[in-house]
Amino acid sequence: MEKATKLLFAIAAVLLLTGLALAFLVAPQIVIQKDGKDVSIFSQKIFYFHAPIAETSLVAFVIGAIFGALFLARKERKYDFLSFASVELGFVFGALVMWTGDIWTRSEWGTWWEWEPRLTTYLILMLLYSGYFVLRSAVSEESSKARLSAAYSVIAAVTVPFTFFAIRLIPSVHPIVFDSSGAKMEHSMLAAFLVSMFGMTVLYVAFLLLRYQTLLAGEEVDYLKNKLGG
Amino acid sequence: MIRKVSGAKQIAAIIKKDIIAELRTKEMVVSMFLFVLLVMVAFKYAFGDSESFSDYAGGLLWIAFLFTALLGLNRSFVHEKDEGCLEGLLLAPVDRPNIFFGKMAGNFMFISIVEIITVPIYMILFKLSIEGSIALFISAIVLSNIGISTVGTLLSTVSINTKMRDMLLPLIFLPVILPVLAAAVVSTGGIMAGVAGEKLANVFSAMKLLIAYDILFLLVAYALYDFVIGE
Repeated sequence: MEKATKLLFAIAAVLLLTGLALAFLVAPQIVIQKDGKDVSIFSQKIFYFHAPIAETSLVAFVIGAIFGALFLARKERKYDFLSFASVELGFVFGALVMWTGDIWTRSEWGTWWEWEPRLTTYLILMLLYSGYFVLRSAVSEESSKARLSAAYSVIAAVTVPFTFFAIRLIPSVHPIVFDSSGAKMEHSMLAAFLVSMFGMTVLYVAFLLLRYQTLLAGEEVDYLKNKLGG
Repeated sequence: MIRKVSGAKQIAAIIKKDIIAELRTKEMVVSMFLFVLLVMVAFKYAFGDSESFSDYAGGLLWIAFLFTALLGLNRSFVHEKDEGCLEGLLLAPVDRPNIFFGKMAGNFMFISIVEIITVPIYMILFKLSIEGSIALFISAIVLSNIGISTVGTLLSTVSINTKMRDMLLPLIFLPVILPVLAAAVVSTGGIMAGVAGEKLANVFSAMKLLIAYDILFLLVAYALYDFVIGE
């Protein structure tokens, strides 16, 4: 592992642990009025992790598409590796979004699954990017694999906003935290959220670099094997 | 001396080739038509004499159409690849995006022909009617078909260049086309039910989404086709 990557992992760890502490120790418990009584909602704490993970997964998919487009334009191998690594990470973060979302849905709405726009969008997103991996494994020749999957990463990223709007043709029950008037939270909650979000983004960059280095190393190993005639 | 043929003529030549091949074999339109009829018979068994069928009429119509389109889209390139026609097309002095527009127009035409025959049959079989404007209904179908044939042509070119071939197409085509499915169901379903007011506004926003999708994916296909079709 290179020094820069190690440093990024360390920064991500510090930020995420700070975010964890802020979320559970500093940010106030949400209290709502229900039947004239105060009910505190502990399950809201997951928001400090769920939302940053969701944001990171979308960023990863977009960056994957940008590297994909760069590969098509410049035909340099490194862009294919970066695009693949980014989509892969987007997929992992996406799976985490669905998992953390599910935990919250179960405690808040009492069901594991609800055909709600945001949940549905993520389900479709995961299916969309599952296609990316199937496509990649279905091409054996390295240069066509890179070319076709780069094209698909762009197509998939263009589809995401349409999926987002198309699903919204049906009304939603998902809480909206950010709207045009700004964030609906207190300062300490916003701080916990932002630290967590920043930490998650740094973690993504660190993993991206790590995965990129392993892909490069893998290529080197293949090259050496061929040289030995194996 | 090689004379450069204009883009429109190149596209027209490819469409003409597809029409002639179709007229000789009658493979695509006939099999798509029979398939969509069989799916409708399956609907009858799934829903029985249910009174509420008309609530789902729009959605079911598009499920049938989407799978039918999938059948035709696979055919359109498997053919080219197996007979070595794709190499011929690539060797011919034709601009790569024009191959796309030619194939896409052909697919659009065949899918539309099947739908023109199927929609009245669907209406008769399930005692449905179009309460809203017929012109609006047709434009919703046309807009959806443009989306389906654009993305379908682009992605069937991707899938044909892989080991999995036609097995891969549904896996990558269906999630990409989902916005079109949702918008098509909302718009045609709404028009068939003759909705008004806020629901009619929803029909229009669905149609706007279809227009944006069609334009954007035509541009994406234009930009990417060169890379997708192969070196």
